[in-house]
Amino acid sequence: MAQRASSVEVKTSTPVAPDRRMMPPVLRALLFAAIGFVVLDALVVLLDYSPQSPYISQTGAVAGWFGALVGWLLGIGGYEHIIKPMLGYDDPGYKQVGWRRFFQLADDHKVIGVQYLVFSTGTFLIAGLVAMAMRFQLMSWQPTIFQYPQSYLNAVGIHGTLMMFTVATVAMFGGLGNYMVPLMIGAKETVFSKASGIGVWLVPAGVLTVAFSPLLGAWTTGWRGYEPLAASDGVGMLYYYLGVFALTTSSLIVALNLVTTILFKRTKGLTWNRLPLFVWGILTVSLLTVIWFPEIQTTFLLALTDKMALLNMFNGLGHALGFSEFFWLFGHPEVYIVVVPALAMWNEIIPVMTRKSLFARPMAVLGLVFVMMLSGMVWAHHMFTNMRYSEMLPFSFFTEMISIPTGFAYLAAIGTIWNSRMRLTTPMLLVLMSMFNFLIGGLTGLFVADVPANLQLHNTFFVVGHFHFTIIGGMVFSWMAAMYYWLPKFSGRTYNEFWGKFGAIWVFVAFNATFLNFFVLGLHGMNRWVSVYPKYLQPENFWTSIAAFFLGAGFGINLIHIVWAWVKGPKVQENPWQAKTLEWQTSSPPPRYNFEELPVVVAGFYNYGEGAPEPVIVAKQVGTQA
Amino acid sequence: MANMVLFGVLWVVISLLGEWGVTAWINSAPNGAGPYFGTASNLGVIGAGAFDFLLWVAVPIFVFVVLMLVFSMIRFRVKKGETANEAKNQTRVNKTFIGIWVVASILVNILIWLHPNASGLEQVFAAQKITAKEHPLIVDVTARQWEWIFSYPQYGISQAVNSQGNDVLYLPVNRPVKFVLQSFDPFHTYDYQIDVIHSFWIPGFGVKQDVVPGETRTLVLTPTQITSTEKNPMVRVQCAEDCGPGHPYMEANVHVVSASAFAQWAKAQAAGGS
Repeated sequence: MAQRASSVEVKTSTPVAPDRRMMPPVLRALLFAAIGFVVLDALVVLLDYSPQSPYISQTGAVAGWFGALVGWLLGIGGYEHIIKPMLGYDDPGYKQVGWRRFFQLADDHKVIGVQYLVFSTGTFLIAGLVAMAMRFQLMSWQPTIFQYPQSYLNAVGIHGTLMMFTVATVAMFGGLGNYMVPLMIGAKETVFSKASGIGVWLVPAGVLTVAFSPLLGAWTTGWRGYEPLAASDGVGMLYYYLGVFALTTSSLIVALNLVTTILFKRTKGLTWNRLPLFVWGILTVSLLTVIWFPEIQTTFLLALTDKMALLNMFNGLGHALGFSEFFWLFGHPEVYIVVVPALAMWNEIIPVMTRKSLFARPMAVLGLVFVMMLSGMVWAHHMFTNMRYSEMLPFSFFTEMISIPTGFAYLAAIGTIWNSRMRLTTPMLLVLMSMFNFLIGGLTGLFVADVPANLQLHNTFFVVGHFHFTIIGGMVFSWMAAMYYWLPKFSGRTYNEFWGKFGAIWVFVAFNATFLNFFVLGLHGMNRWVSVYPKYLQPENFWTSIAAFFLGAGFGINLIHIVWAWVKGPKVQENPWQAKTLEWQTSSPPPRYNFEELPVVVAGFYNYGEGAPEPVIVAKQVGTQA
Repeated sequence: MANMVLFGVLWVVISLLGEWGVTAWINSAPNGAGPYFGTASNLGVIGAGAFDFLLWVAVPIFVFVVLMLVFSMIRFRVKKGETANEAKNQTRVNKTFIGIWVVASILVNILIWLHPNASGLEQVFAAQKITAKEHPLIVDVTARQWEWIFSYPQYGISQAVNSQGNDVLYLPVNRPVKFVLQSFDPFHTYDYQIDVIHSFWIPGFGVKQDVVPGETRTLVLTPTQITSTEKNPMVRVQCAEDCGPGHPYMEANVHVVSASAFAQWAKAQAAGGS
């Protein structure tokens, strides 16, 4: 690995400038961030001076945050690789090799993908530990580790925000998308590789901002950050808006980069009809992101201004439901941003593992596209308890209709596994588990989409169970399947089949034991956002928590196993699954520019059986590298 | 073909067993409350009916997909010692199967949108159209951070409280109640208009309605069982929309009593002058 990276260095670096020792980029970024904060905050104090005002005011904290963000991005490498080239200096190239290249600005989509995956995984651990703390509190009907409800509510908010904006939206999209999409379409790199390299460093900035926001004052709104409640919350609320702003900007950059790459960088012969399923998934998700993320960013900036300057936009004097409406207008497409890559991933893995041609491929693609188009028309089902009666019928209609294109993913998957020759490997097992879980998520959706039933189920644990089944059950299980499936690609190494299956079954059992209970709890009158609850609900909550701890441990087992396999696992041959897509047509791990000679595609990737055409010609094997 | 027949038989048998189990579960409590415990009001019964119907619809779909996954996992798996050659059957399109799938999923969705959704909503809407002839009890509900305040303008009760001074909601059984819901803080010194969104939820009644600052909303329902929070903890007023630090504590006890007991209580409350 080190050899290849250094050979790249020779190509790109200019020998003119003497090689100076540089401070480690992450440390320098932290230093620049501190300077940026102090400077911008000082500017605020200077412009709005009063002897009574504190050194750090609300406005100062916000301005300082932007200063810190700019300092952070410059320090991580933006100064050398973006500012200086803009002023006419030469880009010094990317000097770091080995593991160090992951801790600075990168322009290699594979490094960026791994950075996203690491940030997602780390955040999954942080937000997961927060969830464990929440479940520990809920073992008792009285306050235990969260002495005050606001600290519990703040924990709920941090858990939800980090899980949505750093894990669910990012892992399969920024992580696997960045790593795999250029390989799968036969491109040497992405179009906006520098912007992409900067974008990934917005993630740690956003995560730290959200995770430490309670230091400025607790906020109790949950992951929605919703007005009018936000108005009476602590100043930490502002850092929620800012942190999410950084995180959403990161995903927006991923979307712009990948959608452009898919549109313009496909190799010869890779027509829309031959585009791999996972790439279709990333394409639809990118479009959804481009449409909806600017909308929620605008809303959050409005809310930020509203909270700082008291404009009364979103309270009883303005339009109290306005924020919720803007939020869910984005919020429902968001859940499809999360789940569409997972649906696509099923049909990526299934034909390979079952040695059978993908059934009804056009339907599988159409399903993704129609989900994308319908997803903006269902959002108000989050507001059945406060909307006009006249709006209930159309929104429940579209909500129920969206299950039709979602079902197409099942149609293709089921048609493929029927009469197949299934190799029941860990990725295949996880795909089947994901299909099972997402089915429960989808079928419980029938109940919450039904308005008369929704008036009871809304804001109870039934809904919490429903969306954890779609997001963990659908997306996280598919993410795990994808990690095991592509491990040989990332590192040339593979996992242990026994421990892989063991981890999968552990997580599957613990997950269902935890979240099936949520449905019963919800029906029994357990509402959301409560750290204390009526005593009669304690026994069920107690056992739910025990199962949740097992679930947490199960994710830990899988994580340790994947990291072990990545670093120390047994080596495997190239293309161990005999898959046909392009990412397997180069060495593992792939060289810096992916392919020595670009492959030419002459047929679809999902055809098996006698006489099935080979999809690729001119695929040059770069040769196995040690 | 043998696989298809075997699968079909299994699907029908397991689905029937599932329907039988679900029905037994639903009938295990009055009003079809089975798994759906909030049926102490007319609106709750409508919701429970919808929930039960959807359970029946969901069972065969669930069984079909799960059985397909398990069946394929057992039947089409490459067993140990076998070589993983490519499948003999390479069907890429089966127009009959796709056609049935698409038409069936559209029909099922239209069915459940019409019933129980639209039909249930029609009943909910109809229940909201209350006339003076039906002598509805009017209860003004004020939600503030973090308290429910109930007043009964027809009985001259400005804030109903129990002997400990806690807010309490008394309702007569089988008489329509019109809740007039507002969110503001009457006790706030200067900022009484500003409050946040709450949600008026009585889990035992199977219905909730958000209380939005700056708006006045109504909810009409008829309690159908004599019950109380002490007897059934589901029958309580609970705030269902996150409203800040006091949200978990924003609840009030409920008593559904006979008409005469209610009259007695109202008289005592009004005389208490609270």
